[in-house]
Amino acid sequence: MISPNEQDQKRFLVVDDLAEMRSALRTQLGSLGYNNVAIADSVRMALEHLEQQGPFDVILCDYYLGGSTDGQQFLEHLRSKKLLRRSTLFIMITAEKAYTSVVTAAESLPDDYLIKPFTADTLKLRLQHLMDKKARLIKVDQLQDKERWADVITECDTIIASGDRYKADAMRIRGQALLACGRNDEALAFYQKVIDIRPMPWARLGLARAQQAMNQFDDCKATLLTLIEEAPQLLAAYDLLSRVQVAQGEPDAALQTLDKASSIAPDSLPRLRAIAKVAERQSDFDRVKTALHRVVKKTQNSPLRDTRDVAQLSNAYAESGEPDVALSLIDEARKQYKSDLRAPELAAVEALAHHKAGRTEQAQAALAVALQADATSLTPETAVNLARACLATGKQDAGEAILKQVMQNNPNAVELQTHVSDVMSTYASPERASALLEECVSEVVALNNEAVRLARERQYNEAARMLSEAASRLPGNAQIVGNAAMALLTDVYNTGLDADKLRRAVQFQQRFQSLDPSSTKHKDIAELQRRIRTRYSSAS
Amino acid sequence: MRFADLVALNIHDIKNRLAMVAARAEGRGDTETVHDVLGVTAELSRLLACYKAEAGQLQPAIDAYCPQYLVQELIADYQHLTTPKLEIDTDRAPSSWYYDENLVRMVLANALQNALRSARSRVCISAVEDGDWLEFRIHDDGPGYPDDRLQTAQATAPMSQEGTGVGLYLAHKVADLHTNHGLRGEVRLENDRGAVFRLRLPV
Repeated sequence: MISPNEQDQKRFLVVDDLAEMRSALRTQLGSLGYNNVAIADSVRMALEHLEQQGPFDVILCDYYLGGSTDGQQFLEHLRSKKLLRRSTLFIMITAEKAYTSVVTAAESLPDDYLIKPFTADTLKLRLQHLMDKKARLIKVDQLQDKERWADVITECDTIIASGDRYKADAMRIRGQALLACGRNDEALAFYQKVIDIRPMPWARLGLARAQQAMNQFDDCKATLLTLIEEAPQLLAAYDLLSRVQVAQGEPDAALQTLDKASSIAPDSLPRLRAIAKVAERQSDFDRVKTALHRVVKKTQNSPLRDTRDVAQLSNAYAESGEPDVALSLIDEARKQYKSDLRAPELAAVEALAHHKAGRTEQAQAALAVALQADATSLTPETAVNLARACLATGKQDAGEAILKQVMQNNPNAVELQTHVSDVMSTYASPERASALLEECVSEVVALNNEAVRLARERQYNEAARMLSEAASRLPGNAQIVGNAAMALLTDVYNTGLDADKLRRAVQFQQRFQSLDPSSTKHKDIAELQRRIRTRYSSAS
Repeated sequence: MRFADLVALNIHDIKNRLAMVAARAEGRGDTETVHDVLGVTAELSRLLACYKAEAGQLQPAIDAYCPQYLVQELIADYQHLTTPKLEIDTDRAPSSWYYDENLVRMVLANALQNALRSARSRVCISAVEDGDWLEFRIHDDGPGYPDDRLQTAQATAPMSQEGTGVGLYLAHKVADLHTNHGLRGEVRLENDRGAVFRLRLPV
């Protein structure tokens, strides 16, 4: 039971486009003693509240919000941008459950659905039950927010062993945590065990993810096909299947899978974007246009708008012989959004479009704007567009440097490497393409070798400096980032305490942890840290 | 647009408007109207679910839920009743069980309404773990089911000569959707000093 005092401390956010429903909900909450209630009539306003007054304990959100964005898309946006703590209760209010039963992924589910109409008595009980659950899971939630997966697993085990009513929640979270920290074989065995008891869709999806992580692609596909048969509404299954199909060089099958998912949830933004991405690699630009036109239309004037959608849509026009349509789309975007004026995403495509239209000077000018951006902050797609613009306008060295950076920063992205290779073959030559791929690998090997040599010659500071520089340039390369952490710690161990080096070592170590959670090098790092502590605590 | 979609869309809209009516009534303390509206919307939901079941489109969303909570929530809206007296028994309920909470709630709410109509003085709603089964039981002290109802308990058509029978039809459909390891959910009607409605869901 909640004491009245605690009720006043609970912070609510109500999101509904209808004024009467908003005030009715506020009245109901007030009658239950909850008076700390913020009100939003739109997604935009809700986001403002979250930014300025958040975090909230409970969000009550209507599924229909009037505009182009619905409650589910709003929730997906919050989760993907990490704008919600896990301890916040998100309750979706809807008149008909069937309408909302299409889901992107278990991670994007609300904590509960409330079916309209409901009385204050029902709301009271439901809130109590959900708050009890959040209270039981608070530790797990906080550990998840901090991505301390090993601790999440231990905590889940405690709840599972207790056998209380939250056991199933703990099991689901346990599986996700195993996958998140790369304990894939354990995850696989765990999900298999769950399925043997009861084939829950989340367990099958988890099993498929573990199989994918362990490169068991055929098993993974078989699991997903069974899952789609059993739970055709679970869109995450189609998403994963299409990614596996792309990775296995079956883009047509991937598009078919995504089309099927789209027919179940025609308005789903992530799916339309995925279709555009696969179709683009296939040079199926008509399909790119159809998908992205819908995305752009649906996100117009919405906080969910993304400049990259306009960029990829314009690119499709430029690539299919209509560069002027591409340019007018870019112009339009810039007129509406000041932040797009110097956006590298658009400037890169603008350069390509001008080049296609034969306007060299304008192409150079646009490219100059795009090149001012910080290369490490660009998504791989934008970086590749930028590189294409460079290569197309004769800036071969700049273009290759960008592609190299992208590939070295994403060393395990097979699909990206194929894409880069295709780009190089088109704009330079197939020979140059394979040469570039080799240079990417050999440069990283040489860098690591050089660092090892320096360390052997006791030039610890120089080794650490070199690897730190490389790790800042390639924050996605686990090997480099991990070695940078090791080099900094080795330097400190041998040459003396240095707060700045230790701080950077911790940053690299954390990044390394999230890039490659299953690496054995984490043990070496921990051991080195232990030795540093022993050496300097006994000295002082 | 398929007819099912058209119906669903309209019911959705109607329920939204009814929700508004309920909100207004609750705002001025008119409990009677609130409960009338709740009854109507529940019936609309059942109709829509029946239609979907007929069309083979009723997809269960099965997850782990707490039966004790479900029973508590079911009677929340009848707290104001003085007769019949409502009793709950969840002492032998499992801590959690796998089912589609929304569909099971729909079925039990309907059975509870029927029981409240027939009962003389009391209705007992319980959740009991019984081996591989969870049994929700709604027991009233009324005249019991008529014989022909007991005989047609396995009726699979939404319409029977006695009446609309939507509730019972849906109960069977919902029970049917709950399967695991070769076990399938079931509905049982019995007379035992009153009517006993039992919804049994496999582990």
